[in-house]
Amino acid sequence: MMAAFVFGSVAAFLVVLLVLMNRGDEAKEFASSEPHHQARHESHDSLQPTELAIRIFSRDDREFIALTRSARLQSLYQTERRKVASHWVRRTSREVSMIMHSHRLNSRQSPNLRVSTEAKLFCQYVQLRFLCGLLLFLIQLFSPHALRDLAFYAGKLYQRIGGALPGAAAIDRAVSSGNSATL
Amino acid sequence: MLSDVAKLVTMNNADDDLQHRTLAGMQCNLARLIYLASTRDYNSGMYHHEGLSACYGAEQARGALEAAHREVFSILATLPIKKLVNELETYVRVSREEPSGFIHAWQELEPYRVAVPMEVDSTMVELFLSNIRLALEVLRFRQE
Repeated sequence: MMAAFVFGSVAAFLVVLLVLMNRGDEAKEFASSEPHHQARHESHDSLQPTELAIRIFSRDDREFIALTRSARLQSLYQTERRKVASHWVRRTSREVSMIMHSHRLNSRQSPNLRVSTEAKLFCQYVQLRFLCGLLLFLIQLFSPHALRDLAFYAGKLYQRIGGALPGAAAIDRAVSSGNSATL
Repeated sequence: MLSDVAKLVTMNNADDDLQHRTLAGMQCNLARLIYLASTRDYNSGMYHHEGLSACYGAEQARGALEAAHREVFSILATLPIKKLVNELETYVRVSREEPSGFIHAWQELEPYRVAVPMEVDSTMVELFLSNIRLALEVLRFRQE
């Protein structure tokens, strides 16, 4: 009971910390370069956020730099990617806040508000803000490639477990083929 | 025969003229980017090109230069670092400057910052500047 309470408190504290960190960084960046950014947001030929993320976290770039085997270059690459990735996350977070702000203003005058839709939208907004905070935290703590690395590590672990438990792997394959047959 | 050639040479508009006469002659996109940025006035942010303005009017010329600038920037900003290093190598060769001096000047003065078009996505700008810094460092590493 006590352990659950402590765990819950720590989790709540982390959430608040992440949101505050995100807000602080955002405010700083927003204040320092708002006119510049405002103008640049009005782009017509910019990439979609996902396409940009793919470019920022590109494996090709990382492998190209790794091939040089220069510690200085690799360190510079990490620093540069960290900067760009943080910028991308903050911008995404700021843009969604602006969208929500204008939605809030519009919805005040709307006569047919649906509570369930609004609640769902708000939950998605909180979820995205939390994810942005978490991403910023991970990027600062590890590197922009941390999530990809984690996924890769999980894949390797899965292979190791599959290798150690051939029976389990066979069951898993049977379940997978069964699922695909039903789809 | 002559009329066929004349048809080929005749340009429909300022965009075609700029693309086929001026930019096609340049060896890499980085050279195109620097050239297009140089046609923009630092104070007003407006593009000027005497030849194009004389043929198609100042407004059309301005539009063509601005569109081309954005397009070339977009290509370069999304280029993998490996290809950007190749672009930079070609540009250094074309500039006929001594490579180490060129790299030093670009790292110190960062002239590529003024080559960014106005009103483009801020993350794309960050990515472009970051990749140029990395590409310059790769070239310097290869020189050592």
